[in-house]
Amino acid sequence: MSLLKALRYFFHEAVVNLARGWKVSLLAILTITVSLLVGGAFLLVSRNLLASVERWRGETRVVVYLQPETAPDAMRRLAEEAARAPWAAKVDIVTAEAARRRFQDSFPSLSDLVAGLGDEPLPASLEIALRDPGRRPPELRAWLETWRRRPEVSMVDDDREWLRQIETVATLLRGVGLALAGGLLAAAIFTTASVIRLTAYLHHDEIAVLRLVGATEFYIRGPFYAEGFVQGLAGGLVASGALWAAYALLRLREPGTLLESLLAAHFLSPAQIAVLVLFGGAAGLTGAVMSLRRESL
Amino acid sequence: MIQFFQVTKRYPGGQTALDRVSFEIARGQFIFLTGASGAGKTSLLRLIFREDVPSEGQILVNGRNVSSIPASKIPYLRRTIGVVFQDFRLIPRKTVFENVTYLPRILGADVKAQKKLAYHALRRVGLAHRVNAFPLELSGGEQQRVAIARALINEPEILIADEPTGNLDPDLSWEILRLFLEVNLRGTTVLLATHDRDMIHRVGRRVLTLDAGRLVGDQELPGTDPPRLEAPPPPAADGEIETPTDAGGSLGEGEPE
Repeated sequence: MSLLKALRYFFHEAVVNLARGWKVSLLAILTITVSLLVGGAFLLVSRNLLASVERWRGETRVVVYLQPETAPDAMRRLAEEAARAPWAAKVDIVTAEAARRRFQDSFPSLSDLVAGLGDEPLPASLEIALRDPGRRPPELRAWLETWRRRPEVSMVDDDREWLRQIETVATLLRGVGLALAGGLLAAAIFTTASVIRLTAYLHHDEIAVLRLVGATEFYIRGPFYAEGFVQGLAGGLVASGALWAAYALLRLREPGTLLESLLAAHFLSPAQIAVLVLFGGAAGLTGAVMSLRRESL
Repeated sequence: MIQFFQVTKRYPGGQTALDRVSFEIARGQFIFLTGASGAGKTSLLRLIFREDVPSEGQILVNGRNVSSIPASKIPYLRRTIGVVFQDFRLIPRKTVFENVTYLPRILGADVKAQKKLAYHALRRVGLAHRVNAFPLELSGGEQQRVAIARALINEPEILIADEPTGNLDPDLSWEILRLFLEVNLRGTTVLLATHDRDMIHRVGRRVLTLDAGRLVGDQELPGTDPPRLEAPPPPAADGEIETPTDAGGSLGEGEPE
């Protein structure tokens, strides 16, 4: 029998077995789905977070908050001084009044809060756009340190620091997600192995006949391997579909929000989806191989 | 065709199933293997199709030492041997057609060839009209005939039957025995284990007798009332999968392992 014919037979038998024992097969498919869904969700969130970080990295600025009593002349002088630094591309003065207006525009619901505080509640600042936002050479960090110590300056905020924190969170999320998915996948493999072992047990009479008439081990075990693989593929496909549904729902219900831009700006790439589905198939196949490895059938 | 040289089979518990058994069966012979329950008949048959290996001695089937055949080659040996059991071993959820065509399917025969082979095999046992029935819709005799058709579908060189009439009434037993005799008429070597001495004496033929694992008798009986056998139908021919003989005993060895 040619390999192609054998594979066709394996998958035909696998589909027949899946249909015949659909309840237990569904259990295996669902456990694989859950594990891949968890892994895929963490992957999607971390991918979007990291993409946001990358986007924001290009827009990062150093913000030098000034003491409330800093006079406009002093602000201009400080801005000119900052602009002379080799890494500064542009320096904008944001007065206390402009800062308040910006806050009120960004957070209209909190507008009354700052209005009721009297005077100007927010400090004036210098926003320094950097020539190369992605890099922070030691000289720049030393320069920022000198600014932090100046009497006119109350605080120096470098966006890069919180971006780095978000980046760390995203990486951590990915790690936690993969670890969690790994654990769940191990459970899924175990479930698949149990389902395949049960199916093999239910077919022990037929296996005995196959062996009696001269079937090879490859021919006898092939349908069970194919069944595990198909269960895994189905789990991967369902997980990908569920992920896409969650992504589409988020985009539909939260259009233009921070949540959408953070979590659902991009879906997984076709290559990532393919990997997710194939990973499911590999998990199912592993379960099948594991279940029959020590079985004499 | 089948040669046993001082074959001993001991099971792990220490029980000796066969004790230094030697005999030779020529191609085309019909042999009754008899003895009381526990005499070692089933153990002997299992050794021939390599379901088990001897503790001592050698077994040659078609000149090949079956106990030294590597595990991966056992299927190819089994494709040359048809086996029938007392309990039929049919798969109840499969039709008669599916039950008899396991071997052609394994060998990659297309559906048309499978149907042709199934028809020929079932016609030989008189069940061509029940091809779509399920085993549980058949009588015990019919089920055994389906099992025989399964064993015969690829024209095996050897047919082994372990108490094939044990579950059947005398009339059906006689009917089944006639089938084996007809198969033998076409050149297949038949080794039939039974403890039905009346049947053996009526039919005659060579009889090997086992007692507590030892071969205590090897005699040719004339037969008191041998059945009149009909000329067997012509063998399945053109357009079918190759037989073990055609393939030089290596049927389907191109199959992926």
